[in-house]
Amino acid sequence: MNTGLNLPAPPLTPAPSEDLVRTNGRRLIAALRSDPALSVARLNAMAVGRVASDPDLRAALFRLVDVTPMCRDLSDISTHLTALLGEIEEPTRSVRLIRGAALRPALSRTAGFFARAGVRGMASRFIAGADAESALDELSDLWKRGVASTMDLLGEATVTETEADTYLERCEHTMRVLAGKMAGWQAQPHLETDRHGFVPRTNLSVKISAMTPNARPDSPGRGVAGASDRLRHLLRVARDLQVHLHVDMESLDLRETVTELVFDLLAEPEFADGPSAGMVLQGYLQDSPEELEKWLGWQAAAGRSVPLSVRLVKGAYWDHEVVEAGQAGWPAPVFTDRATCDRNFELLTRRLLASTDLVRPAIASHNLRSIAHAMAAAETIAGGHDAVEFQVLRGLGDDIQDALSDLGFRVRTYSPIGDLVAGMAYLVRRLLENTSNDSFLMARAGTENLDSLLVAP
Amino acid sequence: MRRSSVRSGLRSALDQLDVSLPIEAPALIGSSRGDIDGLISVDPGNPSRVVAVAGDSSSGDVDRAVEAAQAGFRMWGVTSARERAVVLGRAAAIMRQTRQQLTAMIVRECGKPWIDADAEVCEAIDFIEYYARQSVGLERTPELLQLPGERNEMRFVPRGVVAVIAPWNFPLAISAGMVVAGLATGNSVIYKPAEQTPGIGHELVSILRSAGVPDDVIGFVPGGDEPGKRLVEHPDIHTIAFTGSCAVGLEIIARSAALAAGQNHLKRVVAEMGGKNCLIVDSDADLDEVIPAAVHSAFGFAGQKCSAASRLLVHDAVFDHLAERLTGAVSSVLTGQAEDFGIDLGPVIDPDSAERHARYLDQASQDGEILATGGGLPAGDGYFCAPTVVSGLPDDSKLLADEVFAPLVTIERVADLESACALVEASPFALTAGLFTRNPEHARKVEARSPVGNLYINRGITGAMVGRQPFGGNRLSGTGTKAGGPGYLTAFVEPRVVCENTMRHGLVV
Repeated sequence: MNTGLNLPAPPLTPAPSEDLVRTNGRRLIAALRSDPALSVARLNAMAVGRVASDPDLRAALFRLVDVTPMCRDLSDISTHLTALLGEIEEPTRSVRLIRGAALRPALSRTAGFFARAGVRGMASRFIAGADAESALDELSDLWKRGVASTMDLLGEATVTETEADTYLERCEHTMRVLAGKMAGWQAQPHLETDRHGFVPRTNLSVKISAMTPNARPDSPGRGVAGASDRLRHLLRVARDLQVHLHVDMESLDLRETVTELVFDLLAEPEFADGPSAGMVLQGYLQDSPEELEKWLGWQAAAGRSVPLSVRLVKGAYWDHEVVEAGQAGWPAPVFTDRATCDRNFELLTRRLLASTDLVRPAIASHNLRSIAHAMAAAETIAGGHDAVEFQVLRGLGDDIQDALSDLGFRVRTYSPIGDLVAGMAYLVRRLLENTSNDSFLMARAGTENLDSLLVAP
Repeated sequence: MRRSSVRSGLRSALDQLDVSLPIEAPALIGSSRGDIDGLISVDPGNPSRVVAVAGDSSSGDVDRAVEAAQAGFRMWGVTSARERAVVLGRAAAIMRQTRQQLTAMIVRECGKPWIDADAEVCEAIDFIEYYARQSVGLERTPELLQLPGERNEMRFVPRGVVAVIAPWNFPLAISAGMVVAGLATGNSVIYKPAEQTPGIGHELVSILRSAGVPDDVIGFVPGGDEPGKRLVEHPDIHTIAFTGSCAVGLEIIARSAALAAGQNHLKRVVAEMGGKNCLIVDSDADLDEVIPAAVHSAFGFAGQKCSAASRLLVHDAVFDHLAERLTGAVSSVLTGQAEDFGIDLGPVIDPDSAERHARYLDQASQDGEILATGGGLPAGDGYFCAPTVVSGLPDDSKLLADEVFAPLVTIERVADLESACALVEASPFALTAGLFTRNPEHARKVEARSPVGNLYINRGITGAMVGRQPFGGNRLSGTGTKAGGPGYLTAFVEPRVVCENTMRHGLVV
C-alpha cells in the first residue's frame, strides 16, 4: 500500500535462534501441562472443533448466538433455533433430532431454555460480568494468581450522541471503581514495574467508534472532532487516577481516525507526563510494518515522558476486511496466508522489542509459537523479561496466562464487561475466530505433539 | 477514499475542473457541433456557479440527428459485436484513466458527494464493460431444436435507432448504461441528457467518440422538453430507453404506441420509473445494523435515488427502541457541500425539489409528527433540505404513497411481518424493498411474497451493482427490464429465425 510517505526502511532486527525459541516454547508447554485447568480448556476446544468441522452447523449456531439476546421469550428462541437448523441442507441425525424436538409445542420452551442457557454459558466464559463491580472478585483472584487485567466495555453500536455520552460515563465509572479497589491489593512486582518504572494496575481498553456517532472512513477529521472531547476527558481521569488507557483498533476504515485522534491528544501539553496510554497494532494488515515505523517516529518526536504502549495483535476483523475489499473490488489489505501473517507478527514483535526505549510492547496471542518467539526475543533483543508484557483473551487464554505468570512474565487478561445483548458481537467474533480452520487453538486441540506447534511459520 | 492521498488527488481534480468551468455542451449531430444557446446547469450547492452551458435542441435538430443516425446505422449495424466491443472497451479504459476528473464533474453538476460520485463512475465503467461482453455472447446463435433435414438458426439484429432519455440523478452511469446497451447491440443512439446535467452528458459522448464510435452513430441533443418529445414521436426511432419519473414514463409509453404515417414498426420502450420503497424491520432485527442502513438508504444523495428508502415499516416489538435510536442518529446526520469529505448528504438538485420537500414537510406536521430532523444546513444559496423522519401519519396520507425524491422518510408501526408485506403489496410501485430479520423462515416468506424487482435482506436497499444485482422494478416502477443483468440487451434487438430445408431429391445434403 502506498502510504505516500518516504520512510526509511525499518532496520533489520536479528531474530532469536530457533533453538532458543524452542527452548522457551518447551518451558511454556511444561508450565501448561502442570495446570489442571488445561484439560478443561482442551475439552472446550475439542467441542468447538466438532462444530467447526461442519460449516453449515457452525453458521446456524453462530446466528443463534447472535440473535438469542433479541428474542422476546423462550419460544422465540426456539423458533429461531428451528428456523436456523432448518437452513442446514444435509443435517446430521442429531441435528434432525434436536430440531424435531424443538418443533413440538410441548418441548418448544424447553428447547428455548437450553438454547439460551447454552448461549449464556458461552457468553459467561468470555464476558467477566455485567459491570466493573460484578467482575471485581474475579479480577482480584487473577491478581492474587499473578495475572493483571484490562477491561473492555461492550455495548450497542454508538449511533447517537447520547449513546456516546453513556459510553463515556461507563468508562469513567469503571476507571474510578477499579482504581479505588485495586489500590488495596497486595504488591505484585512482576506486574507493576518494568524498566520504565511503574506499570498501572488498572487498565481500560476503549473504542473510538463508541465515543462518537460521527466516525467516517473518508473523513477522519469528522470522527476526530466528534470523539476529541470525550477521549480528552478520559485521558484526564486516567492521568489523575494513574490508570492506563488503551485505545483499541477496529476495522481498517477507522485506522486513520484513531491514530490521528490519539496522536493529536497525547501531544497536548497536559498529557506530556501521563497518563500511560497506548494503541493496538494489527499484524494481519499488510502495511503494518510501515504503520509501526510511523508510530515509533511519532513517539520519538513527541516529547512525552511516558512510553507509548503498543499491543500487538493479529486482528479480529479479517472476514470483514476481506469481504469489504472483495465487494469494492480492492485487493485485500490483510494477509490471506496464515504462515505469512505469523511471520509478519514475529517481525513486528522483534521491531517492538528493539524499540523499548520508546514503547512498552504487549504481545497479545494464544499462539504458542508466537509467544515462545516473543519470550526468546525479549531476552536476546531487549535484554530481559520485563521488556515485554503478554496479553490473552479471557476464556481462551486461561491456561496460557497462568503459565506465563509462573515463568515470571507480566501477563494481562483482556476482560470484557457488559450485558448479554451488548456482548453478542464480541462473542460471535471470538467464536468465529477460534473455530476457523486457521485457528491456532484448533490446531492445538487436534494434536498431542505440541512440539510440532513450535515450528517457525 | 479512506486514504488521504486519494482524497487530495480528488481535491486537485476538482480545483482543476473549477478553473475550466463552464463546460461547453453543444448538440453533436453527425460531424456538426451546435450552438451554445443559453441553457445552463448550475452547482446545486452554490447556484451562482455555472457548471455547463448547453445547446437547446429543437425538433428540427432531432430530425437531423435521426437522419445522421440512420446513416450511421447502415454502417454500424453490420459490424460484428466483437468489433463494437473493442471500441466500447476503449471508452471504458478512457473512463478509468479520467476517473477523478469525471468524479469531480459529477460532484459539481449534480451536487453528489464524493463517495457516491466515484461509485457512479465505477458503475458507468461496469455497465460499458458488461454490456460489451454480453453483446458478444448475444451474437452466438441460441440452441434451437434441430431435426434431420432442416437447419434452424436464430440471430439477434439491432433494431435501428435508439433514443435515450436520461435522468439527472445518475447522469453518467445510467446514461452510459442505456447508451452503451444500444451501441453494443449495433444500434445508432441519439442521447438526450437531463436538463440539469448536460455537461456530463456531453463528456460521455466525447469519450465514446474518442474511443472510436463514429459521429453519426452517437448523437447528442441537449435541451428541455422539446427534443425529448420529438424523439418519442419520431417515426424512425425504434427503441426508447428512458429513466425518470413515473408520470413522464407513462406519457412516453402512451405516445410511443401511436403509429405515425409511414412508420412500419412498433416502438419498444425500456423504462425505469421510480418507486415508493419500503424497509421492513422484524422483531429480531439487529438495530446496530438497521440504523446506519436505514439512514443511508433514506438520505444518501439526499434521497434522490429511485432505490431510496421511503417508508420504514417497523415491528411493534422494536418500534419504540428503534424510533429512539433513529431520532438520535438523524440528529447527527451532517448535511453539507458535496465537495466536503465526511458529509452524509449534499444539496438536492434544484429549487423544485427543495420546494417539494418543504411542501411535504408542511403536510407532515399537519397530518403527523416530525420525529427527527438532521443538523444545521450550510449557509448560502444552495438547495439544501434537512433530512427528516416523519411518524404518526394516517393510512391515507399522500406522504405514504407519493415518491418524494428528497431527504424525507416515514416510519410506521406494524403488528407483524404479515401486515408489512400487505402494505408493500398494496403499492402500485415495486422497485426496491428491504428486510431486516434474523429468522431465515421469515426471510424466505417475504422473498416469496414480495413483488419488488430488487429485494435486499439485512443490508441497505441502494447501491445495486452491475452484474451482481441487476436493477429494475415491476408494476408501475418500470417495464421490468433489468439494467446490468443478462437479459437487458434483448430489448434492443429483434430476433430473426431462418429455417432451411437441407434435403435435395430425398437426400440430406
